[in-house]
Amino acid sequence: MGQAIGDALGQFVEHAQGLYDTFLSATVFSIGSWDVSQYTIWMFIGLILVVLLILGVSRNLQLVPKNKFYNTVEFGYTFVKHSIGEDVIGAGFQKHVPFLATLFFFIVCCNILGLIPGFKTATGTISVTWALSLVSFVYFNYYGLKTLGLGGYIKSLVPSGVPGPMIPVVWFLEFISMVIRLLTLAVRLYGNMLSGHMILAVFSLATTVFFQYAFFQMDFVTGAVGIVWFILLIAMYALETLVAFLQAYVFTILSSSYIGLAIHPH
Amino acid sequence: MDITLTLAAMKVVGYGLAAIGPGAGIGIATYGLCVSAARQPEMKGQLMGYFFIGAAMSEALALLGLVLFFIA
Repeated sequence: MGQAIGDALGQFVEHAQGLYDTFLSATVFSIGSWDVSQYTIWMFIGLILVVLLILGVSRNLQLVPKNKFYNTVEFGYTFVKHSIGEDVIGAGFQKHVPFLATLFFFIVCCNILGLIPGFKTATGTISVTWALSLVSFVYFNYYGLKTLGLGGYIKSLVPSGVPGPMIPVVWFLEFISMVIRLLTLAVRLYGNMLSGHMILAVFSLATTVFFQYAFFQMDFVTGAVGIVWFILLIAMYALETLVAFLQAYVFTILSSSYIGLAIHPH
Repeated sequence: MDITLTLAAMKVVGYGLAAIGPGAGIGIATYGLCVSAARQPEMKGQLMGYFFIGAAMSEALALLGLVLFFIA
């Protein structure tokens, strides 16, 4: 009995060795010198989906939406506008709402696409998240420079009330912390998405291996363990659905708080 | 029994060590948010912003550990 479970576990470990390689980006086709990987394709699918979603919903706006789907999308926009924009940025938030809503809907669409079996999540690769975080970084620096001017923006990194000799030290630390935002925004989204999907892959692989073993060897204990794996898989899937929304929310709220810090010196 | 410490194993241990501090830090931040939101629920929206900035700063250390795991 223990032997059977051990055998099944051994097969599972054997299969799991090559799991990480399936998450690496592979070139599907090339246009000239531009190699298109599967993540690029899924990124464009996500992009098209966002455009279709928003254009489709905004085409017939009603004062009181009857359609539940329209209502959901409008709720998402209102959520970005009030809970993220107004609460975090404060005065002058209206200008930044389109940017934040675009970020939010794009990340949500990419994350949710990856949850459908057989699909890939574009945000599960470092290149896409790096590009997103670069966009956000350039955006908040641009508005900080535009609002405060070059000298004012450099000075505004230090909080007011810091004693004179400490200003260079605090400025240096704040500068490092500002530059590191670029890295952490990208790696947070990438790490959460990649690890989440890898966990889903591990659990589904385990379920498959255990059920196959139980079926071919007529071993009921392994089948029972396979059912436990399956229940864990469903629980993890629910958790990943939550994480897909949560990470989009965190990315957007951090971008907006960086914008708020840049345009309102503290 | 001979124990071999490979580079891959050391990297995993290093990431585990890097995750201790941020774990405690985010826990303390969440505790503070819960306590203050329970005392003054109308401040919750504003506090969430501070919470996310603090949690993001604390989490940056764990993320640096993750980056070092990949590049080292």
